[in-house]
Amino acid sequence: MKGTLIGFALIIIIGVLVPFTAGNFAIRLATDIVIFAILASSWNIIGGYTGYASFGNIVFFGVGAYATAVLMSKAGLGFYPALILSGLIAGLYGFAIGFPILRLKGHYFAIATLGLAEATKALVQNLGLTEGNSGMYLPMPEMGIDASYMFFYFNALGILLILLVIMYFILNTKLGYGFVAIREDEDAADSIGINTTIFKSISFGLSGLFTGMAGSVYAYQQGFIKPEPVFIVTKTVKMIVMAVFGGVGSLFGPVIGAVSIELIANYLSEHFLVIHTIFFGTIIILAVIFAPKGIMDIITARKKIGLSYFLENIRKNRV
Amino acid sequence: MLTQILINGILKGGLYALMAMGMSLIWGVMNIINIAHGSFIMLGAYTTYWFFTLYGMDPFVSVLLSMALIFFLGFFIQKYIINFVIGASLFITLLLAFGIEILINNLALLFWTADVRSVQVTYGGANIEILGAVIPTVRLFAFLLAIAVSVILFIIMNKTWLGRAIRSTAQDLEAARLNGVNVGKIYSITFGIGTAVAAAAGTLWAVIFPISPTMGGHLTLKSFVVTIIGGLGTMMGPLVGGLSLGIVESLGTNWFGSTFENLISFTILVLVLIFKPNGILGKKE
Repeated sequence: MKGTLIGFALIIIIGVLVPFTAGNFAIRLATDIVIFAILASSWNIIGGYTGYASFGNIVFFGVGAYATAVLMSKAGLGFYPALILSGLIAGLYGFAIGFPILRLKGHYFAIATLGLAEATKALVQNLGLTEGNSGMYLPMPEMGIDASYMFFYFNALGILLILLVIMYFILNTKLGYGFVAIREDEDAADSIGINTTIFKSISFGLSGLFTGMAGSVYAYQQGFIKPEPVFIVTKTVKMIVMAVFGGVGSLFGPVIGAVSIELIANYLSEHFLVIHTIFFGTIIILAVIFAPKGIMDIITARKKIGLSYFLENIRKNRV
Repeated sequence: MLTQILINGILKGGLYALMAMGMSLIWGVMNIINIAHGSFIMLGAYTTYWFFTLYGMDPFVSVLLSMALIFFLGFFIQKYIINFVIGASLFITLLLAFGIEILINNLALLFWTADVRSVQVTYGGANIEILGAVIPTVRLFAFLLAIAVSVILFIIMNKTWLGRAIRSTAQDLEAARLNGVNVGKIYSITFGIGTAVAAAAGTLWAVIFPISPTMGGHLTLKSFVVTIIGGLGTMMGPLVGGLSLGIVESLGTNWFGSTFENLISFTILVLVLIFKPNGILGKKE
């Protein structure tokens, strides 16, 4: 409880202070970080709490982005109605598609979600409504450059905070306990009367809702979107990397993961342009081997962290 | 016309089958989805390219060298990296494989640049005609080689001690260990074989299509689709999956246009997963 309050306080204080102490470039970077924090935290709902490793969560990002593009440029809606509708559309998509594909377990679920994302991308590439591969323009925000940087940053931060607050409350209800019960033992959860099918679909839907809203903000910020970048598989992997790096199944883990990974990636690309992706690959490999439980586990662990902590992690998982 | 389309589909399907065979083996034995699979296909393609360009070796000869090289690479990656996390949860191994993919692809970009290259064999333009259908000779060779590698893999898996050890490890780790199988070593060998077969697929890919360091991602996805359609845990799975996908794609793109290729294959993937999660040939769990 105390830890949670400190966490929220830190996010609000740092989140609000950043744009007033930095230039536009830093605000843009901070916006990217917050959007990734939303993506990683949304993935954490289905992948971390409910235990279903989705490898296609980017589909909701793409659906949200395209829904906003269609609603704003074809239906003439304003940004906020489009944002909310896009979130709902992505959420409903997740909820509905959850019924058939959440029957699959483990790797099969992972691949099914990956296939879903690719199939949806291919559909968007071929639809007339979405103008296929040529991409879609969105209306420009009617404000100055500096104001628009602030606008997108605070909208993203707002969505992140709403997501975290909602998840905090859900985790203390029957729904939240149901998610965790499904992760720990689905058959047992079923046998004590949890309607696992509905619960899993709600979890996937919630994940889709917030990912879709992040996609919506992204689309309006970019002003122009194409199928390939908004449905890109590597972004799904990036959100999982962030969630794992920070700590899967904890409220603030994915946020910490998003901030640290983006800052590391940004530092590397500034200083070692040619080989920064090679460093990124190496960091993933090392993190996965030495600290599979993430930074949150290191922060909250009662015992002292030393070499033995990392060796313990290896000893547990090696063949 | 229909014969031509079917034959095109079958030839493409043979290549798909070979691509998926290594992935299916690694997945079935170690329960790892090797996201880096396409990167090993890419490495196979590039070794072939360099043997051809530097030493003038025919791809259908140098394929053995490529396979041997990539076997050792896969062996050591499994032994010194993947074996350390093999007991961890599902997304940990997926992420590790992704890290390996980033590493391999970007090293390739660094050393070989993003240029698109191709292997121009002298018999590249030759065709033969069967039943009124025109078949490029290289594609036919590639198909035959794909079948040959599948048969050899089938024999290794079913008739040798190694194959029995691999299959028993897949079935029951502890029981295999109790019977004197060095599980860590078997895992390394299995991963090596899987990547070597991927390298063979890469060789064939290089002979038929242009290659680049980033070609792998798309091929990994295709390999997933084939593995799922065919079903895990049987050696015939990838063959059936590959041929079905090749033929369906060939027919589908003919009817709807080539932009629909991905829509077709991934819709099939999702449908197969929903209605027949163990694949066409898959065993019930």
